[in-house]
Amino acid sequence: MPSARRSPFIPHTARLKESIDLTPDVKLFRMELEDEAVRKEFQYKPGQFAFVSAFGVGESPFGLASVAYQNDAVEVAVRRVGTVTAALHELEPGAIVGVRGPFGNYFPLEEYKGKNICIIGGGIGMAPLRPVIRTILDNRSNYGKLTVVIGSRSPADLVFASEYEGWGSQPDTRVELTVDRGDANWKGRVALIPAVVKEIHLSPENSVAIICGPPIMIRFVLVELKALGFAPHQIVTTLEAKMKCGLGKCARCNVGDKYVCQDGPVFSMDQIAGFLEQF
Amino acid sequence: MAKFISKTDLLAWLEGLMKERTLAAPIKEEGVTRFAPVKKVADIVMDPGATDFSPKDWFFPPSETLFTVSKADGKTVITPRTMEKEAILFGLHPCDGLGVALMDLPFLAEPADASYAEKREKTTLVGLACRQSRPECFCTSLGSNPFDATYLDVLLIEAGGGYIVQSKTEKGQKLLASAKLTESNVETPAPPAVNTVPVEGLVAIAPHVFNDAFWTRLADRCIHCNMCAFVCPACYCFDIRDYVGKGGVVERVRSWESCQAAGFTKIAGGYTPRPTKAARLRQRFYHKFLYMPKQLGSIGCTGCGRCVRVCPVNIDIREIITTMQKIGAKVAVGAP
Repeated sequence: MPSARRSPFIPHTARLKESIDLTPDVKLFRMELEDEAVRKEFQYKPGQFAFVSAFGVGESPFGLASVAYQNDAVEVAVRRVGTVTAALHELEPGAIVGVRGPFGNYFPLEEYKGKNICIIGGGIGMAPLRPVIRTILDNRSNYGKLTVVIGSRSPADLVFASEYEGWGSQPDTRVELTVDRGDANWKGRVALIPAVVKEIHLSPENSVAIICGPPIMIRFVLVELKALGFAPHQIVTTLEAKMKCGLGKCARCNVGDKYVCQDGPVFSMDQIAGFLEQF
Repeated sequence: MAKFISKTDLLAWLEGLMKERTLAAPIKEEGVTRFAPVKKVADIVMDPGATDFSPKDWFFPPSETLFTVSKADGKTVITPRTMEKEAILFGLHPCDGLGVALMDLPFLAEPADASYAEKREKTTLVGLACRQSRPECFCTSLGSNPFDATYLDVLLIEAGGGYIVQSKTEKGQKLLASAKLTESNVETPAPPAVNTVPVEGLVAIAPHVFNDAFWTRLADRCIHCNMCAFVCPACYCFDIRDYVGKGGVVERVRSWESCQAAGFTKIAGGYTPRPTKAARLRQRFYHKFLYMPKQLGSIGCTGCGRCVRVCPVNIDIREIITTMQKIGAKVAVGAP
């Protein structure tokens, strides 16, 4: 009976456990779903996303930044850019938010077993890549070399900066940092991400490159990866699109015969090359 | 022999049904015909021609509250909106029945849109066959016809001072139980002739026309008023926003949106994947003629002609189909 059908638009309520400043305009939200049964059912994989509601202001989609198997909290990194994200930033621990999801496909990490993995993230684009890195590091022997290239506008804008050292200290793992503009204390690299990809000579052999970041960054990283010999099927990205439902209904994220919310957000470059439209 | 109802008995039947149910039918307000709940049967426009707005308004209204969020004893309570009474949607033409079937494709696909599904289940469709077609009608090119009962619970065909009554669905027959039907040998009139548009092969040819300059030329005159999408029985894009009402009760509201609007694809940070009018105009037709067939199995058009009538700058879907076929045919044979 339809009256008994739960509306897929109704979010689960969740309590904000913590909101942690990651950068001047990015906070990490650690949320606990209120209903215990829902908490158990809320399983997801790296690359999937969920909508978070600030009731009274609206809801927006965010890449899930946590790994489900730790199961202590659902995490998203929220950059303050619009009305919903500004409202979320105002919330104090204990506040009730809405969580709807998980939605979308995920990075096929099972298929990548035995391969070298290059992760390239720009700015807030690191959020959906963080669970990929965690999953690989927690199952380290299943994967080859792990290279993580992280860039941001400035040193203060590096998200999850406190975790880089831990990642880089793992076997066969290196973390390459870069910023567009340094500051007085920055002794590291000042370069754009595509230049770093070129500089460190990522090898395409038995490798997969996973990219997330602003569209302009992705575009130029692709140029470099192609020059290094990466084939389109070896490059995977996660597309960002305007979304209102996550259910393949509102048609906002429609590109070609795909819905980013359901068929994506993870696409390989050979899939993207088949789109009629550049997205 | 056919089942028959006189005009007086039809109104009496509807009046009787209104006691228990909501009756939504074409009404005219400030010169605009649209489907809306009626207070008395006399208000129904009995020969609506094509209504300005489509019957999608009933199932997918311009704006509707999906649920409310309130606080009670320190708890957050989410209450979905539900439909109280059963309903009759009266007076839709066969092409609009097809429109409802097209609207079902996205909204009833799992996970089904609960509010749409409930309205659909609790509503019986009573259609009116078309007495005449309009120049901009092309329903027969999309698989329907002026007497098509396929997507309706009851179809009424005007004849002999009343209506021939057809019904093949359980819902329709249940509703007709209270109607004063007689057996009549009144002859079924011939359906009106309908103009045709070359739709066949459009899905296959569409990818070849995507990059043609034709879209820019056409879009240059579009004033993105979005009316084509709003009157379309098959356009289903939407937006969702929150509003705070009395006592801090939050309403999450779904409203019509159109892919023609400039901010339709704009994401956080300002990037807009579909920034030009040409790209947006093209999206509307590719969604209908290529993506919907691939994703949901059917072209997203009923041939009702509403968008042709409403467009202030004469962008004409029939012309677009014809032009796509011409350009596509040239590309297909490699001609310049």
